[in-house]
Amino acid sequence: MVKTKHKLIVAAVTFLAALTLAGCSNNSSSSSNSAVKFSTNYKNSDATDKSATKNGTLKLALVNNSPFQGITDPILGSNASDAMAFAPGNLNNLFKYDKNYKIVDGGLANQKLDRKAKTATITLRSNAKWSNGSDVTAKDIEYSYEVLANKKSTTQQYSSDFENIVGLKEYRDGTANTISGITFPKGENGKVAVIQFKKMAPSMKFSGNSFIWGSVEPYEYIKDVPIAKLAASDQIRKNPIFTGPYKLDKVVEGESTSWSPNKYYYGKKAQIGHITINVVSMNNIDKALQSKKYDSVVPFAAASLGGTDYKNLKNLKGYTNIGKPSLSYSYFAFNLGHYDTKTGKNVSDSNKKMANKSLRQAMMYALNIDQVTKKFGNGVKQRANTILPPIFDKYYDKSAKGYTLNIKKANKLLDDAGYKKRNGSKWRSDPKGKPLTIHFGAMSSSSSTEAVYQDYLQQWHKIGLNVKFTNGKPMEMNSFYDTLQKPTQNKMDLWLGVWSMSSEPTESQLYGDTAPFNYGHFVTKKNTELINKMNDSTSWNDTTRAKTFKEWQNYMNSQAGVVGEQFSYAWQPVNNRVKGFNISPANDDSFYSNLTLTSSKMK
Amino acid sequence: MWKTILRRILIMIPEIIILSILVFLLAKAMPGDPFTGSINPKADPAQIHHLMKINGLYDPWYQQYWNWVVHLFHGNLGNSYQYQEPVTRLISGRAVNTLWLALFTTVLTYCFALPMGMYAAKHEGKLPDSIIRIYTYVTYCIPFFVILVIGIWIFGYVLGWFPTTGSVSSTANPGFPTIASRLYHILLPGILGALFGTVNIVQYLRSEVIDAKGSDYVRTARSKGVPEKDIYRHHIFRNSLLPIAAFAGYSITGLLNGSLFTETVFSYPGMGLLFINSISYRDYTVITALVLIYGILNLLGTLLSDIILSIVDPRIRIQ
Repeated sequence: MVKTKHKLIVAAVTFLAALTLAGCSNNSSSSSNSAVKFSTNYKNSDATDKSATKNGTLKLALVNNSPFQGITDPILGSNASDAMAFAPGNLNNLFKYDKNYKIVDGGLANQKLDRKAKTATITLRSNAKWSNGSDVTAKDIEYSYEVLANKKSTTQQYSSDFENIVGLKEYRDGTANTISGITFPKGENGKVAVIQFKKMAPSMKFSGNSFIWGSVEPYEYIKDVPIAKLAASDQIRKNPIFTGPYKLDKVVEGESTSWSPNKYYYGKKAQIGHITINVVSMNNIDKALQSKKYDSVVPFAAASLGGTDYKNLKNLKGYTNIGKPSLSYSYFAFNLGHYDTKTGKNVSDSNKKMANKSLRQAMMYALNIDQVTKKFGNGVKQRANTILPPIFDKYYDKSAKGYTLNIKKANKLLDDAGYKKRNGSKWRSDPKGKPLTIHFGAMSSSSSTEAVYQDYLQQWHKIGLNVKFTNGKPMEMNSFYDTLQKPTQNKMDLWLGVWSMSSEPTESQLYGDTAPFNYGHFVTKKNTELINKMNDSTSWNDTTRAKTFKEWQNYMNSQAGVVGEQFSYAWQPVNNRVKGFNISPANDDSFYSNLTLTSSKMK
Repeated sequence: MWKTILRRILIMIPEIIILSILVFLLAKAMPGDPFTGSINPKADPAQIHHLMKINGLYDPWYQQYWNWVVHLFHGNLGNSYQYQEPVTRLISGRAVNTLWLALFTTVLTYCFALPMGMYAAKHEGKLPDSIIRIYTYVTYCIPFFVILVIGIWIFGYVLGWFPTTGSVSSTANPGFPTIASRLYHILLPGILGALFGTVNIVQYLRSEVIDAKGSDYVRTARSKGVPEKDIYRHHIFRNSLLPIAAFAGYSITGLLNGSLFTETVFSYPGMGLLFINSISYRDYTVITALVLIYGILNLLGTLLSDIILSIVDPRIRIQ
C-alpha cells in the first residue's frame, strides 16, 4: 500500500514537471504575414549621454553554439564567428564601400584602378596607424599577399585568381622571394603600393572581389613568426593589433572579447568606453535578450537570428529591430552532368535523369515556397525569385518571377514532355516508359526545416513524381558535401543547399563552366557567355554590368538548372539606449566609431 | 601491491596501441575531411587540395598513423585543423575549464549525497526517507539538459543571480578577481549538476547502510553500549562506502570527460563540446588525441578504483 502511494506521488511530480516544460515552449503555430520591412538604420532620437557613453559598456552577443576559434587574422580565419568576435577592430579592412559594396574613397586606403597600365594603386591615408602606435605601411599591404600565397600558409582564402598578379605564382612556387608585381613607389615604409595585373576585371571595383585582397597585415609585428605558424602565434591570438576604432583589451579563449577605444585610429574616435562580446548559444539568445543581458548581437552579413527568434523577439520592449538582406540564399540544384577532372571543366550530359527542362520546371512549379516561407520564416524570410540575393540592390532583379505554385502547369509540362502515368501506376514514368524515381538530397537540420522537406516531397507526390530522400532521410552535412564533391555522382538527382556569397556579386565560382563548386554541372553556351560578360570590358560600365546580371538571373530561371529557394534577412534587435546603430554596408567602415549610448542602463 | 600496479600499467600499453589504431581508422572512415565544412564560394577547391596534401591527408592510413606515432613520441599531437593551433595547447586550455567545473560539481555532489543517503537510511521507511527517495527518483527521471535550461532561465535570466555564458568575465582583472569570477561562473552549473546527480550515491549508500544496520557487528557494538552516533560514524559508514569507493576511481578520472549539456547551455568551453565539435568538423588530430586521453583515463580509472577499494577495505587485496 505504502509503495503504491509513493509511486503515485512520483508520477504526479513527474507529470507536473512535464507540464511546466510544456509551458515553457510556445507551440502556437500562428504565422505572420508577408515579409517584414526592416530598416538598416536605427534612428534613435534621444540625445547621447556623454558620461554614460564614456564610462559605459556596450554588450554584444555572438550567437554561436560552439566557442570561436580565436584567429584574429582575416586571411587565416575561416569562419564567421572569428570575424564577429573581433569585429570592433575592423578586421584591418583597407577600403570603405557604398551600399552596393563598391569601393569608394575615405577608408584606411583609397584605390585607383588604371585599366591601360593594368595596375591598382593603393594609397594609405597619412595617419594610418596600428593600435600599438606604429604606422601602417605599404609593406603591410604587400605582406597580406605573402601570407595568402605562401605555400606553407594555412589559409583557405587563397584562390588561383590571385595569380593574376604579376609574380605571385613565382612567389608561391618558391622561385621568387618576393612578389615582383607589387611595388612601392615611396619605399616599403611609404604609404603607396602598386599592384601590377596580367588582366583587369570590373569586379576589382568591388569589395570582396577575388583579385585584390581587402585587408592589411602588421608586417613589423609578425615578421619573425613563420607564416605556417602564424595562426597559432601569440601575435595573432593573444595580443593582436588592429587598425579599427577599438583595440582589444582581453580575449578569453573561445568565449569573449573586450575592447576599448584605440587612440591611434585614423577616423572618428570611438566613443563608448568599453565593448564586450560574449558567445551565447542559439538556445539561449532569445532569453538573454528578453532579460536585457545584451544591447544587441554582433551585426554580420549573414543572419545570426532566424524566424523562430523573430517570433519571440519582435515585440521585445525596449528594443527596435533592424535588418538587411543576408548575403546567403538557399537553392535547389539538379544533377545534370559531371566534372571532367582532366580538363577541369563541368560537362552537361543529355542522358541524365534530370536533363529534361520540363521535368525540372514542373518540379519547381509544384512547390508552394511562398506558403512555406510564410509559415516558418515568420516574415524574416522570403521566396528567392532568383539566385542573387537582394542585398546587391543594383544587380538583383526584383521583377524576376521565379517559380510559384502552379500544379496545373506542372502537370501539363510533365504530360507534354511524355512523363505519364502508365499501367495504372500512381507514379509517372519517364518518356520511354521506364519507372522514374527521383532522389532528393537534403541536410539534416532543425525540426521545422525537416517539416519543410516533407512538404516538398508531398507536393512532388501530388504531381505524380516518385521523389524520395537520398539514403531515405536527410543527410549529415559532411556526407552531403562528400557526395556532391565527387566528379560524378548519381545519388542525388536534386538537392537543397545554401551558398553564402562574398560582397562581390559575380557567381562564376559557383556556376561557371570550370567551377568545381558547380555541383549540378549545369553548363550551356549562353550561361558561360553571360558569366564571362560580367567581368569583361563591357562591364566596366555599371549599368551594362547590372543589365548582364539581370539577364543572367532570368536565363538561369528559364533553364531551371539551379533555382532559388529562400532569401533571408540578417536582422537583429537593438536596445533603445544605443545610438548610431546603422548596419548598411556603406557604414561598415565606421560602424563601431559611430556608436554612442543615451543612458547608462538598458531600456 | 606495487607489483600488481606495475603489471596492470604494462598491460595497458598494448590496449592503448590497439585503441589508437581503432580510433585512427574509424576517424578516417567517416565521410568528409577537415575541410568539408568550410565550403564557400571564396574557398578555392585547389587550395583545399593543397592543404590536404601538405597535411598528409592523402597518404595511406598506415603512413599517417606512423607519422602520428612518431610525432607523439616527440610530445607533439599535431595541429588542430579547425583551430589552427597545437592540439596540446587547445586541449590543455579546455581541460582546465572542465576540471574546475567537474571538481566543483563532484565535491558538491558528495557533500549533498552522503549525508542524504545516511539520513535516509537512518530513518528508513519514515517521512524523511520517503522525501529523499522521491527526490532522487524525480531528479533521476528528468533529463539533465531540461534542468539546465530551466535553471539558467530562472536563476540566470529572470532573477539574474548568476552569469549565463562563459567560464570567466571578459572584464575581470588578473589575479584574485579572475579566480573569483571563475568560481562565480561555475556556481550555477555546479550546483545544478550536484543537486541532480545524487541518485547513485544516495541509493547505494542507503541500501548499504540499511544492510549494515542489521548486521552482527552493529548489534555487537550496540550491545556493548557504543553510542548510536559512533556506531554510524565508525562502523556502518565505513563499511557502506565500499560500492561508492568502487566507482570513485572512475569519477576522479572522469572529471575530464566534460559535460556536453552544461557546456552547450552555458557556452562554457570545455572538453565535451570540443570532442563533439572535433567530430563534426572531422578535426582528426583532436579526435584521436581526445579518444586516446579518454582511453588512458578510463584504464587508469579502473586501476584507481581497485586501489581505493583496497584502502577502504583492507580485506580486499588486488592480485
